[in-house]
Amino acid sequence: MARNSDTLPFPTSISIQSLDHSKLYNRRAQSRENLVEKEITNDSNSNQSTFVYDYEELAEWKGFDKPPKLPPRNFKNAYCDTNDLKKQTTNKTGVTGMSLDDMFCSRCREGFEPHEKIVNSRGELWHPQCFVCAQCFRPFPEGIFYEFEGRKYCEHDFHVLFAPCCGKCGEFVIGRVIKAMNANWHPGCFRCEECSGELAETGFMKCQGRALCHTCNARIKAGALGKHICHQCHGIIDDKPLRFRGEVYHPYHFNCTACGIELNADAREVRSRPGFAANEMNELYCLRCHDKMGIPICGACRRPIEERVVTALGKHWHVEHFVCAKCEKPFLGHRHYEKKGLAYCETHYHQLFGNLCFVCNQVIAGDVFTALNKAWCVHHFACAFCDQKMNQKTKFFEFDLKPACKKCYEKFPQELKRRMRRMYDLNPKKIPA
Amino acid sequence: MTVCARAMNQTPVSCIPNSRMSKAKKVIDEARENQNPELDLADKGISTFEEMPGLLNMLQITRLTLSHNKLQVVPPGLANLINLEILNLFNNHITELPISLSQMPKLRILNVGMNRLDSLPRGFGAFPVLEVLDLTYNNLSEENLPGNFFMMETLRALYLADNDFEYLPPEIGQLKNLQILVLRENDLIELPKEIGELTRLRELHIQGNRLTVLPPEIGNLDLVSNKAVFRMEFNPWVTPIGDQLQVGISHVIDYIRSETYRYLYNRHLSAKGPPPPIENDKSKKISRAR
Repeated sequence: MARNSDTLPFPTSISIQSLDHSKLYNRRAQSRENLVEKEITNDSNSNQSTFVYDYEELAEWKGFDKPPKLPPRNFKNAYCDTNDLKKQTTNKTGVTGMSLDDMFCSRCREGFEPHEKIVNSRGELWHPQCFVCAQCFRPFPEGIFYEFEGRKYCEHDFHVLFAPCCGKCGEFVIGRVIKAMNANWHPGCFRCEECSGELAETGFMKCQGRALCHTCNARIKAGALGKHICHQCHGIIDDKPLRFRGEVYHPYHFNCTACGIELNADAREVRSRPGFAANEMNELYCLRCHDKMGIPICGACRRPIEERVVTALGKHWHVEHFVCAKCEKPFLGHRHYEKKGLAYCETHYHQLFGNLCFVCNQVIAGDVFTALNKAWCVHHFACAFCDQKMNQKTKFFEFDLKPACKKCYEKFPQELKRRMRRMYDLNPKKIPA
Repeated sequence: MTVCARAMNQTPVSCIPNSRMSKAKKVIDEARENQNPELDLADKGISTFEEMPGLLNMLQITRLTLSHNKLQVVPPGLANLINLEILNLFNNHITELPISLSQMPKLRILNVGMNRLDSLPRGFGAFPVLEVLDLTYNNLSEENLPGNFFMMETLRALYLADNDFEYLPPEIGQLKNLQILVLRENDLIELPKEIGELTRLRELHIQGNRLTVLPPEIGNLDLVSNKAVFRMEFNPWVTPIGDQLQVGISHVIDYIRSETYRYLYNRHLSAKGPPPPIENDKSKKISRAR
């Protein structure tokens, strides 16, 4: 304070610079962070306390059951007080019994002339021309000032220097400030990002970076858990949902169209007009009534077939559920091969049941040449050693279940042929002709 | 040799005996004229690729058969034949293969059986689409297989009969598409349990080795259906397996699937007796010729 009175000349001689040049401003801008704490330590009963920003830290709800207790708010602090500027009151209160010689101004440290007006504020005395805003050096309009770190400001400058800005509307927040989600808010500006309900009184929950009310948070959580929301009562469906006309419901909202029984999740949606694509005409039936209606059931998914029916292997199938037992791709009308109660696509039937050509590894289209545990396209059957083409009448030898033409076999080294003969002699039944 | 190569660049002349030259050359010329994509040069007495001028420029050919010749060296340039799907070098005098072969983009069937291969080049397993690999009757063993040999996932038939394997590397289990595995007349002492991972196997030849037991995992395979062949004779089997084999292959499979066998197998492994002696006399193999 003393420094201020020494260094600051009278307002008229001040050169106008931008706010950034002010050391004072910068220092205070930093100390703004600590504002809350300092104000809390202020004596709330003091008449002079100039509490304008009632910071209220709104913590996120952690539990799901009960909202946490909100911190008590002190409404007294939300108002500012006008100060008595009259010299008379000064004389009556703080300075009775003091002589004029002992009194000096809190700002300029000069004494007072007799008959000069003296401003008394909280026991401190001022020349009227010294009792001014620390920022603009002008008297306080209507005598209202705000004090911070022992300095007094007019209302306008105090807001400019210290007022928090609302995270939504960008305006200063005067009075009650909601601190939440790393920002400050007007109580009316801090709303649920789903339903826009005010959150200041009810508290909020943080959900993926968004502030939500309890209800909206529960709904979104349920959605993320894979649970459905009933289209009728908007409650979470804990058990299996009932699908009806493109929406999901609690099954108990409906009754069977035929017998009137309350439905469960097994209920079936039935197209009232077969082949009619839109589902506005659909009706719901309980499983018993549905079974009596004679609708074919898919052999794969056990669900009714309401569109095209494939009949194969003695069963009915959804077109898209009649698939190759090996690759599980639907045949979609392409030819399939049946074996031991299962259906296969062409490729896998041949792969599994052996009609792929040993040379080209393709499905054999025409006649099949079968020998030596293998199959060949007729034009691919050849000696494995000289690639000479062979036919049904060609005589060939077996060597590791590969066909060898007579010429090649004769070129085999003697010692190999001897071994082959020995093996054959000892074990003739094992080697196919 | 260098003289020949230089001569080839100009006009094919003199340094190769005329009769041989004409035999191979005639076939090549004919194939070129007819645009025939399959080239048969089996049993033409060819001993070097220089006797087949222009062969390596016939990019259209899809099959090349050179079996029953006297080739010793396969030039790396053979891999230029980018459309080749079938290469048959059976019964030649080849001692090593160029690594370039494994880069051939369409090669599906490679037969280098009955040669004099002592090893395969590093990186040999890089074939992109190889389906049938025939290495029968060479001098190969687990010691001289390249590290990536079992990475040929497209392989459906692997012929290793008449070689010198004592152990089959467990990486064999990586050949998921293998349908045929022939290990006849090697020196195998045991089989890895990973053989049980070859779920598509329908032909297994292990006759004429030094095997005493089978890993119980072989019981996972379907080797007894009428579409499968399992040959396991001429091994010094432990008595129970030998007895079952007398009755039939299906009895062997039933037996090795039993708890009794699992117990016997574990006991046999922990006993760790000396391996049976080598009985196959390989000194007369023509692959040993030098």
